[in-house]
Amino acid sequence: MRVNPIRVLVIDDSALMRKMITQMLQRDASIEVVGTAMDGTFGLKKIEELRPDVVTLDLEMPEMDGLEVLRHIAKHNAVPVIVVSSHSTHGAMKTFQALQWGAFDFVAKPQQNAALTIESIAEELIAKIKVAGVSRKPKVAVTTVDAERIQPVRKPTRPATNTRTSPSRVVAIGISTGGPNALLYLLSQLPADFPGTILVVQHMPEGFTQMFSNRLDSACAIEVKEAQSGDLLLAGRALICPGNRHMRVRHMPMGDVVVLSDDDRVNGHRPSADVLFYSVAKEFRAKALGLIMTGMGEDGADGIGAIKEAGGLAVAQDEASSVVFGMPKVAIERGNVNRVVSLDALANLLQAQCAVQRASSFD
Amino acid sequence: MAFFSDERTTELRDLFFESAQELLQALNDEGLELERRPHDPGIVRNIRRTVHTLKGDSAACGFRELSELAHEMEEALTPDIAEKADGNLVELVLHAADSFDCLLTAYRGKAAPPRTDHVRDMIRRLTEPAKPQDDGGLQVEFAWNEYEQLLIEQGASTGAPIYNVAVEVDAQCPMRMAALQLLKNAFQAMGTILAVRPEGEMLPDSVAVIRAVLASFQPMETIEKKIQVPSITRRTLLENYLRPGQSRDGIVSRATSSIASPSPAIALPAPSVETSTAETAKPVGDHSLPAFLPQEDSAPDAGEETRVATSFSTAPENLLRVDAERIDTVLNLVGELIIGKSMLNQTLSDFGKLNPKDPMRGKFADAMAFQAQVLNELQRAVMKIRMVPVEQLFRRFPRIVRDVARANGKQCELILEGQNTDLDKSILDALAEPLMHLVRNAVDHGIELPAERVAAGKNAMGTLKLNAYYQGNQVVIELSDDGNGIDRERVVAKAIAANLLSDKEAEKLTESEALNLIFRPGLSTASQVTEISGRGMGMDIVESVLRRLKGNISIQTERGRGTTFQLRVPLTLAIMQALLFRVANRLYAVPLGSVVEIARTTPQRIHTVDRHEVLQLRDQIITLVRLDQLEDKKPPAAACPNKLFVVVVNLGERRFGLVVDKLEGEEELVIKALEDQLVATDLVSGASILGDGTVVLILNVAAVVERLGRSVSGGGSRKLGALA
Repeated sequence: MRVNPIRVLVIDDSALMRKMITQMLQRDASIEVVGTAMDGTFGLKKIEELRPDVVTLDLEMPEMDGLEVLRHIAKHNAVPVIVVSSHSTHGAMKTFQALQWGAFDFVAKPQQNAALTIESIAEELIAKIKVAGVSRKPKVAVTTVDAERIQPVRKPTRPATNTRTSPSRVVAIGISTGGPNALLYLLSQLPADFPGTILVVQHMPEGFTQMFSNRLDSACAIEVKEAQSGDLLLAGRALICPGNRHMRVRHMPMGDVVVLSDDDRVNGHRPSADVLFYSVAKEFRAKALGLIMTGMGEDGADGIGAIKEAGGLAVAQDEASSVVFGMPKVAIERGNVNRVVSLDALANLLQAQCAVQRASSFD
Repeated sequence: MAFFSDERTTELRDLFFESAQELLQALNDEGLELERRPHDPGIVRNIRRTVHTLKGDSAACGFRELSELAHEMEEALTPDIAEKADGNLVELVLHAADSFDCLLTAYRGKAAPPRTDHVRDMIRRLTEPAKPQDDGGLQVEFAWNEYEQLLIEQGASTGAPIYNVAVEVDAQCPMRMAALQLLKNAFQAMGTILAVRPEGEMLPDSVAVIRAVLASFQPMETIEKKIQVPSITRRTLLENYLRPGQSRDGIVSRATSSIASPSPAIALPAPSVETSTAETAKPVGDHSLPAFLPQEDSAPDAGEETRVATSFSTAPENLLRVDAERIDTVLNLVGELIIGKSMLNQTLSDFGKLNPKDPMRGKFADAMAFQAQVLNELQRAVMKIRMVPVEQLFRRFPRIVRDVARANGKQCELILEGQNTDLDKSILDALAEPLMHLVRNAVDHGIELPAERVAAGKNAMGTLKLNAYYQGNQVVIELSDDGNGIDRERVVAKAIAANLLSDKEAEKLTESEALNLIFRPGLSTASQVTEISGRGMGMDIVESVLRRLKGNISIQTERGRGTTFQLRVPLTLAIMQALLFRVANRLYAVPLGSVVEIARTTPQRIHTVDRHEVLQLRDQIITLVRLDQLEDKKPPAAACPNKLFVVVVNLGERRFGLVVDKLEGEEELVIKALEDQLVATDLVSGASILGDGTVVLILNVAAVVERLGRSVSGGGSRKLGALA
């Protein structure tokens, strides 16, 4: 690995951020920051000049902003881009647009509690750069979604929650890098009368999940909502776990609800897919359907085994359609998965599995 | 920032403060720009981006208050709000810039950050839609989660009317512990509690309002009366339960303002109330859970071990931020090199005299010439590092002019010119204070009130012009206003009143001497002392700063037409081209840039006009200055040589001739600063060492002319000189 360090270009209009990101990355011997640029125009010039393996990109910049840079990159140089974005309504919106336009992934800029977040952000950024650097050419095949697809879906006015039906099955999804596009692709194919309920742990920092949920909701026929404690598990609904919280499920006399908590990180993640998987396995047994999708690391790889053990169905996204074949790979290797399915086939699988009145066991 | 080493942390902090200052300046500029073009969405976008970067940077450095305020601000800066806010947005941006500045200052001094409530209030006023008049009644939002809603709907199936009830518990309640239970008892006495927050038996300290959903057949009046538990209830709100998405039309809502005087039932105006779409903050969501849902305490993130940095690869940076001290070190070394060069030159010419035929001479000379050329370039390059455009200084003035003008009810625009003129950074920094003072003064005292201006036949809007340009190796910074001008008589009268000079002396004053009185400590001509200026100090400081910089300040004023201040400073303080000459066998130097020409003359051609020695040079009459008058002892008159040299120097608009005995040539002098204690006079601005070790004094031409050229020789001049 030492032979060829991953060459990184840092594009950010803040001098401080350029320096800080550079210094973060200098801690890892396998990464070399080959240059920095203070705006999009310079950035593109330096991409031409330096031919980096990975670019970190700030979205809010004068002259040419990050989104425009992305558009150029997508057209001319196929270099993986990691967006470094900050938490704000506007910033989150741009971030998801960037992901849709082919950005490899994003990390959030340090927020208030600096000492802790800088460390975790540095680790996250280094890890993501390594994954992006190995892929060297971005996978665009299935994961980019046509702009036409993302049209606001006119939804039928939903009936009040108490008149809606309980779900046939509980689908728990654990997903990380490459997730935003994959989820958009998957959930937008489900019909409004989808009989199951979907719970999603997408590794994403606090402050981005609300916008992400809104975005999915506007593009999908099913209801997508950032989860709140006490939200009901309903047919035709997907609940996205908010950033920096854990999500569990709980049977209640009047219906099933999600419960959020501030427990310690699991596998270095909050939300953690393992937490959700274990909880869904325990409460719903054979009615549970675990889905471990694109992403690096191994979060969820054990938890999905609990779903398999409890008689539910454990599914992993296949390598070809995963932006990063990390979490699914580990789950498969550990023998915790019943099936390996491509992203294209997932919507049909969910429909078929949830349409069944009683889920059969897969032991 | 434990993540980085101490050194790195300091470096990042310094970088933060530096770039934050730049961002603040940009924010000020953009704010003013917005004032000119309030509806330009591009400016709002720029402002948002500036605030955004500031937020990100300060958060990364752990400056919480700053990043939070910037965050609130950024969220407020949507095009919608900008459209609605109009002028308020400008005020917000400028006030925010001030608050950011205060916060930065506090952080830098490691002091407690100041409060920024007023800016937050401004943001809130912009972002929050106008609320119905607060009549003192309790205002509560009821946001029941889905599971609670389910429970409520089930309770509703009994057919009993359902109410949202909120009770604010009196802060002085003596039995706070029991308050929750007592109120629940009260609710239960009237019907069934379908949901209640907070859960549990005890009222948490952080909670002031108890919310519940009550199914009850009792009339609202009765319920309202029953929930007035003495010494617990402060205010209450009772209204029909509102289903999510249900319109407020027809909803009866009763709020009481306090137990003593229950206000009559108030039906709130029924605007189209949106469902509170679960936008509650995170903790609220938690505590709102029914108690039987598991609730673990939030634990702090496990700190991950800081990894030790293993390798440092160097990444190229386009911009290098270097401590000014390091540049000064290089500059000093270059100075020493130049002295070395003249030593070599001296040695070479000595060698040439001894061995006029030696063939090595030519080779030496070539090498010397080459070295001199490189040295020149090196020096120029180093000097260039220190040079910064005056724009850095000028750009802060638009904001100041605007604020001072506003505070005084004046209208004033500021025109900036010559911003690209480069000046040594240390000089520029030193000029900031004096120039700030002059600008404030100009607006405060110079520009008249709009009504006065119109009455005087001028445009109501005053004009202030700030200009910079090169003149020789000096930079001139000119500040002119089209205001009232300085009243010479009043200045003199004030000076007499302040015992700065006697009536007799006052009579002898020339125009410029009279005006220069304003640089005396303790003299302020503002008829009214204002907060901004006119505290009777400042102008003297302005003058002393310029003197320290080996520069000078001059005033031109015309009653009713305006005033112009000219600040002259050397381009740099370190190295200068000088003309060397001898007077009474002493070696002196003057900056070559101020020398216009050198003339030869004889004593016979010098005439005395009005007790000044003058020389006619072509069609110009030039006042002569005899440097030997600087000596206390008069030179022997007989020693007057037949041949005289006159060095003609430019000073402002006037020319003077320095009478010298012998010219020594042109030399590049490395100025060695003289300690103030060493030099009891301002006539000498510095000293230098020549190649052969001779010390040369560099004259401060302005001061010399001031003392010797403008008045007759004799006792009076000394006094006036000291005065000016």
